[in-house]
Amino acid sequence: MTDPRFAQIESHRPYLVRYALSQLRDAQLAEEAVQEALLSALESLSGFEGKSSLRTWLTSILRFKVIDLQRRAVSDRTHLEPTDFAAEAGDDAWLDDLFDETGHWRVAPQAWSNPESAFEQRRFWETFESCLDKLPAAGGRVFFKREIAGEETETICKEEGISASNCWVILHRARLSLRACLEMNWFGKEADIR
Amino acid sequence: MEKRPIYDEDGDLYCREASRLLSLARERKLTAVESKDLERHLDICFMCRNFDSQLKFLRAATERFRTSDT
Repeated sequence: MTDPRFAQIESHRPYLVRYALSQLRDAQLAEEAVQEALLSALESLSGFEGKSSLRTWLTSILRFKVIDLQRRAVSDRTHLEPTDFAAEAGDDAWLDDLFDETGHWRVAPQAWSNPESAFEQRRFWETFESCLDKLPAAGGRVFFKREIAGEETETICKEEGISASNCWVILHRARLSLRACLEMNWFGKEADIR
Repeated sequence: MEKRPIYDEDGDLYCREASRLLSLARERKLTAVESKDLERHLDICFMCRNFDSQLKFLRAATERFRTSDT
């Protein structure tokens, strides 16, 4: 009989690809890492005792695959996507879209009522992921590393080869984009219905 | 590039700067002046208070996203 957790494991694939992509910056390598991780996970499924969440367990397996691939890829870094940090952090003109010339919000952030109840809704997470996808590539990666993989800013700066202040600007921008996206596509809509 | 002023004529922070500090506070400890300015601004600005709550929500959401089993 098929273990129902096989399908469950597969359902975490998009998250794992996102994770791998934030670490490897290469779609093909990321797919490879996830593929290997899922295979290992299937083989050692009986070792999963449910002490952590399935996603956390899968991520820990993936982390090893990622490190392994990073080691192998280190001699060949030429295919890495160029980092577009200059465009993303070089100046703060992008803030003009959000703040008027007097420094005030163009569109006031709303009060989200009881926002955490959204966590129980599957559609919220779809919205959340599509908002993550709308972040610029480098911004999305840095945000993922900081907020989801939980890396320290210092580590991220080193990996990305950017200054701490660049890193802060990128994170700030990502947070502003995400909150605006969620407000427009989730909390704003919800407010309309009420 | 032209630097924008961070204070208005009353010496209060602009939302643009206040929101930057709210985000920055998640990366490093704010200086005494930054904290004081920010606190003062939050007292009078519901928009930045909303933004602050939304940042807290984002933190909770990413936490949940990391460990989600659904």
